[in-house]
Amino acid sequence: MLIFQGGLKSDASPSEMQANMGKWMAWVEKLSKDGKYVSGEPLLPGGKLVSGPASVTDGPYTEGKEVIGGYFIINASSIDEAVVECRQYPDFDFGGQVQVRPVMAMDM
Amino acid sequence: MGPSIHKTVDHLFRHESGRMIAVLSKLLGLQQLHMAQDIVQDTLLQAMTTWPFSGLPDNPAGWLHRVARNKAVDILRKAKTFKHLQPELQHLLQSEYTLSSTVQQCFEEEEIMDSQLRMMFACCHPSIPVEAQMALILKTLCGLGTAEIAKAFLKEEETIAKRIYRAKEKIRSEHISLELPGFPKIAHRLTAVLHSLYLLFNEGYNSSLPEHLIREDLCEEAMRLTYLLAKHPATNGPGTHALLALFCFQASRLRARLDDEGNIVLLKYQDRRRWNQPLIQHGNYYLELATQDETSVYHLEAAIAWLHASAPDFEHTNWKAIYHLYSELSRYHPSDILLLNKAIAASYAIGRKSAINELMEIKSLDNYYLYHTAIGEIYFDDGLDEQAKQCFQTALDLTTSPAEQQLLRNKIRACKGTSPG
Repeated sequence: MLIFQGGLKSDASPSEMQANMGKWMAWVEKLSKDGKYVSGEPLLPGGKLVSGPASVTDGPYTEGKEVIGGYFIINASSIDEAVVECRQYPDFDFGGQVQVRPVMAMDM
Repeated sequence: MGPSIHKTVDHLFRHESGRMIAVLSKLLGLQQLHMAQDIVQDTLLQAMTTWPFSGLPDNPAGWLHRVARNKAVDILRKAKTFKHLQPELQHLLQSEYTLSSTVQQCFEEEEIMDSQLRMMFACCHPSIPVEAQMALILKTLCGLGTAEIAKAFLKEEETIAKRIYRAKEKIRSEHISLELPGFPKIAHRLTAVLHSLYLLFNEGYNSSLPEHLIREDLCEEAMRLTYLLAKHPATNGPGTHALLALFCFQASRLRARLDDEGNIVLLKYQDRRRWNQPLIQHGNYYLELATQDETSVYHLEAAIAWLHASAPDFEHTNWKAIYHLYSELSRYHPSDILLLNKAIAASYAIGRKSAINELMEIKSLDNYYLYHTAIGEIYFDDGLDEQAKQCFQTALDLTTSPAEQQLLRNKIRACKGTSPG
């Protein structure tokens, strides 16, 4: 699982956004073509943190760098391979980061 | 990047941003330009955060319009006052029954064009300085960011931000709205719009600025907006057509003006097969439309560009006609740059001696590299290599553009008595 954190520049110009979008699309296209792309979802900003039945606060991760924009699930034989796939992540230039997490395969 | 995706997304954000800002400014009133810009920004951000996951929508522009429309409806529903709006629109937007459908209608193709046209006139309002007009056009109608505009004009970002800020101040203080001026006022206002577009194109085309010698984007935008004017019955007069013809002819040579290394190729040495014939034909078409009673400077300039575009080669160019047209032009508004061009034409149309005489009479261009280049050229053709070399050297010291410098170094090297290297 690739979790995308930060990188969204809200004052980017239309062409900057367009260029960035092109890179994202190309990346997804490549992952799909290689049979690696499984699924992905965008996350809306904001959310709640529930730390107890009566303890509900805004957040977490509502500020800039911490915002999680979404995730991809990809096929990779190892975590290193997944890391290699992240090279094409388009938002490094904007200070974005990718958390790479292995999803446990549940064989029933 | 896959070619298919690149093609779909290419320019989409920029152009749709300009179109949506125009429509939203009509809906919210130009005084709320800021709000219109925010809605568009939010819309594009939304596309950026979802499309990578959902895939490109079948109709990306329609997707953007729908999101922007919904945001506008939300804002309009909450808004209590609709000051500065066209009265009929004001009425329709106040009723819940007609709100959504009215907003939707404003996003129809014809209405979008109409809004863009109104926006052009607002940006070129006489109370806004011309430099700020161009910046405002690029920001609102062409979807360029402040940093990009600054880069295109080779100015500090802060300078451009200030220009845009002042233009917006004028919109507020002069209560500029998106009204199309009525007849006969529109003729005068159209002149200002055409002038601003002319400058915008030249800014992209001119070679007086270092690096990025030809900034095609600016040329393209100026052409796109002029094309809109040419399509609208209120603005498609001879002047508009002549300007569009001029742009087409000039743009047809864009690709031939620089070689693969980014060096300038002079008209004389351009590979005419690289000129864009469809654009030249477009130019012919608009020049024909422009040929009516009224003549403008754009007519004269377009005619000159046409003579170049239709000449089989440099030697067989109708230099006499070009010289005559420059003479006419310099009567319209005498400027030393025009006289310089006229003198260059004279060297082919009449002779090098009279060209040199004309050049010597120009007093104010001593710091302009092309002036010295032109004199050097004539000396060179006359076999006066030593004098030619001096002129080229003076020109070389005056230009900061690497492409121009390279060209001049080549010329100096071609002079006799110059050691190679």
